[in-house]
Amino acid sequence: MTGDHAPAPAFGVPAPGRGLTGEALTTERLAQRLVEAFPGATTDIQHGELTVHVDPGTIIEVLAFCRDDDDFACEMLADLAGVHWPAGDHVVERQASTTGWPEYRTTRERGVIEVQYVVRSVSRNHWLRLSVGVDDDDPRLPTATILYPTANYHEREVYDFFGVDFTGHPDLTRILMPDDWVGHPHRKDYPLGGVDVPYENDQFIPPPDERDLREVVD
Amino acid sequence: MASDQTAGAPAVVHPDDRDELYVDGADWETVVDAVEDETITVNMGPQHPSTHGVLRLVLELDGETVRKLTPIIGYLHTGIEKNAEYRTWVQGTTFFTRMDYLSPLFNETAFSIGVERLLGIEAPERAQAVRVILMEFNRIASHLVWLATGGLELGSTTMMTFGFREREHVLDLFESQSGLRMNHAYIRPGGLAQDVTDDFVERCDALLELLPRKIAEYEALLLRNPIWNDRLRGVGIIDAPTCYAYGVTGPLLRAAGVPWDLRKAAPYSGYDRYEFDVVTEDACDSFARFVVRVEEMRQSLHIIRQALDTLPGGPVMVADKRIAWPSQQSLGADGIGNDPEYIRHIMGESMESLINHFKLVTQGFPVPAGQVYVPVESPRGELGYAMTSSGTNKPYRVHVRDPSFVNLQAADLMTRGHMVADVIAVVASLDPVMGGVDR
Repeated sequence: MTGDHAPAPAFGVPAPGRGLTGEALTTERLAQRLVEAFPGATTDIQHGELTVHVDPGTIIEVLAFCRDDDDFACEMLADLAGVHWPAGDHVVERQASTTGWPEYRTTRERGVIEVQYVVRSVSRNHWLRLSVGVDDDDPRLPTATILYPTANYHEREVYDFFGVDFTGHPDLTRILMPDDWVGHPHRKDYPLGGVDVPYENDQFIPPPDERDLREVVD
Repeated sequence: MASDQTAGAPAVVHPDDRDELYVDGADWETVVDAVEDETITVNMGPQHPSTHGVLRLVLELDGETVRKLTPIIGYLHTGIEKNAEYRTWVQGTTFFTRMDYLSPLFNETAFSIGVERLLGIEAPERAQAVRVILMEFNRIASHLVWLATGGLELGSTTMMTFGFREREHVLDLFESQSGLRMNHAYIRPGGLAQDVTDDFVERCDALLELLPRKIAEYEALLLRNPIWNDRLRGVGIIDAPTCYAYGVTGPLLRAAGVPWDLRKAAPYSGYDRYEFDVVTEDACDSFARFVVRVEEMRQSLHIIRQALDTLPGGPVMVADKRIAWPSQQSLGADGIGNDPEYIRHIMGESMESLINHFKLVTQGFPVPAGQVYVPVESPRGELGYAMTSSGTNKPYRVHVRDPSFVNLQAADLMTRGHMVADVIAVVASLDPVMGGVDR
């Protein structure tokens, strides 16, 4: 490891539309190319950001494509995170309360943990988000550490918080919670917890997720 | 005797050009040889003065050579991301500013830009310019702490006092504007908590006059200092392809010769309006990172100068009364507090204003469903906010991609083959902030 490999900045300092060594692909072009290569993928552009929904079985192939394709050239895995969408039919009814159990709109039949990979190309200066949904009963995904070593910590975090089992991960242990912790705190069915807060006249305010402020607000 | 024993000894893995660390006459090799295959495991931290807070490093040592380094983190985990799901969007600022406590304004800005993008609004120009000025001062303050603590860890107590002294001047500016030295919650979705004070430009000017002289002083103290050079040059090498593989960004990537800076590559808050250089070095070592950070402070001053000269007037919060934080504050004899004019207005004149104030403050505003990923260039690299809204008044999920968390993974690679003392230099040059790592 020496400094000889530093790529020559042929294009100068990366700016919008151009990276270190080449022009950026437009969001639409990225989406089109990915769908051509992986017909099962669906794309979604929101706020100028491209999200590609991929099947859990092909995620490693898609990541490898994004990394190795000359036009994509996504040499960096910028981020990897999870979002839990539990099953059930929930209605937003306590939106008015300041604090309290957060409500979410979902009519899903099965609970899903969405794992999102943000891949970035420094040489082209574009990025996209790959999104994979796995069943929250038995969440399992192949590890991305073989392609991007940086996925190591990120996957440990997603395992810690959501319980996703990244098969093939070199050291899938808890990273931020204590080693002997039970449960995966960022799942929506995991309570926030907390203690009663003493208030005047010997009264107490319950912890945030047990507060019911409807009577106060209405 | 020595030569016989070393002939069959396994090659000691160490970086090139580091032979000077090994005692001539192979005495050291003899010792290492005697304990062949025997490594000892040493715990450094979590309460070690040189590990930047509560970072625990488990070192596998062969003699005094590091074979493996395992960072163990999580001691400062506060569940900020989980907590934020139970609070309104505006309250989120108060949480996220506490993550990377040395660069609070970057957290606030990234979070606010995320909320604004989900809402489809943009902060007024004046608010954006003030954000840039404060963020760049924050970058300087953060780099000063890095210089101060890094200097202390490598034996330069003078640098420690210098760094913290000047940082205090910068924090005074923050305090005068937001009321707090750190964890300001000053940058809010939609703009700023309040406009800058009348003497803001004057205060900034004073700093712009002071800091260049001080930065020159640091350079005079360290740039040619033989100890500083010996401790940092050739230590903790990480080249550009390895940076990519490990997701390493910020001054580390720039010290590996890559001019990657999100302020240029994907400008936000109007950074495209200002002229500045992306500082790079080719040496890939800890010394290069020192040079990059010091020069970045100069570039920050350059940006602040331009932003002050072109500081636009006008509001600092969006006009939309459904989003803009209603409370107004002003500076009284006893410090910043509720603006008496505003209190008179809602309490005495307008019942509707009072209702609006009450509803906005207690319930917040709903944010349309969707997701965004907002990366900003923090002093440590790419600080990304991956935010998901389900259309309610609270975030559904906010994930923070903290640069310290990601960069720390490379510590193992950067220390292998070095001495234990070099671990301190490498960790210092990584500049991890545990508040950001553990979140």
